[in-house]
Amino acid sequence: MSQLLSIILDIALAIHIALIAVCVWRVARGETVIDRLIGADLVGILMLAVLVLIALILVNSTYIDVALGLAALGFVGTIALAKYIADQQMF
Amino acid sequence: METLFQLIAILAVVIGTAFSVLGVLGFIRMPDVYTRLHATGKVSVFGVVLLLLATVALTPLDFGKGLVLIVLLVIGGPVTSHAIGSAAHRIGIPMKRAARDDLAALEREQ
Repeated sequence: MSQLLSIILDIALAIHIALIAVCVWRVARGETVIDRLIGADLVGILMLAVLVLIALILVNSTYIDVALGLAALGFVGTIALAKYIADQQMF
Repeated sequence: METLFQLIAILAVVIGTAFSVLGVLGFIRMPDVYTRLHATGKVSVFGVVLLLLATVALTPLDFGKGLVLIVLLVIGGPVTSHAIGSAAHRIGIPMKRAARDDLAALEREQ
């Protein structure tokens, strides 16, 4: 069971990294500015998933701390960019 | 007991990865901005939260931090999606094949 778990964690890590590559390609191609904003937000969330998977694989709780900081900063950054696009000014 | 927790972790990781793949697939294939936003909301609320449930079930070392991160994601994900959707409607991005647009009617009244 333990060996199956480690194999599944490795496969999930590879899948998430491939998904990040797809999202970066979609941001570079992007049709509107909102599409690029959605893609950047999605890259942040998938990076968080990668950090959680690395914490599970290495059995190291430090990566969960890094994921907490990334979640808080990504949330504030996306809200600020959405307000900047909607109002054409930051404050 | 250890085997039960490992089984829970395996199920959570597989289902969470499936949700992430479906969300990114919807982000590529959907026709307009609002439906793409609907698809990507699933990655935050179901994909990452299920991976964090696997962390909480598997390792005793970071129980509290995982739960704090789950609460942060469940509160923050819908707020982010709402802000992006509101910004898209404010700058006038059109909807494809929409039956009605109540928010535009409300803005015309004001």
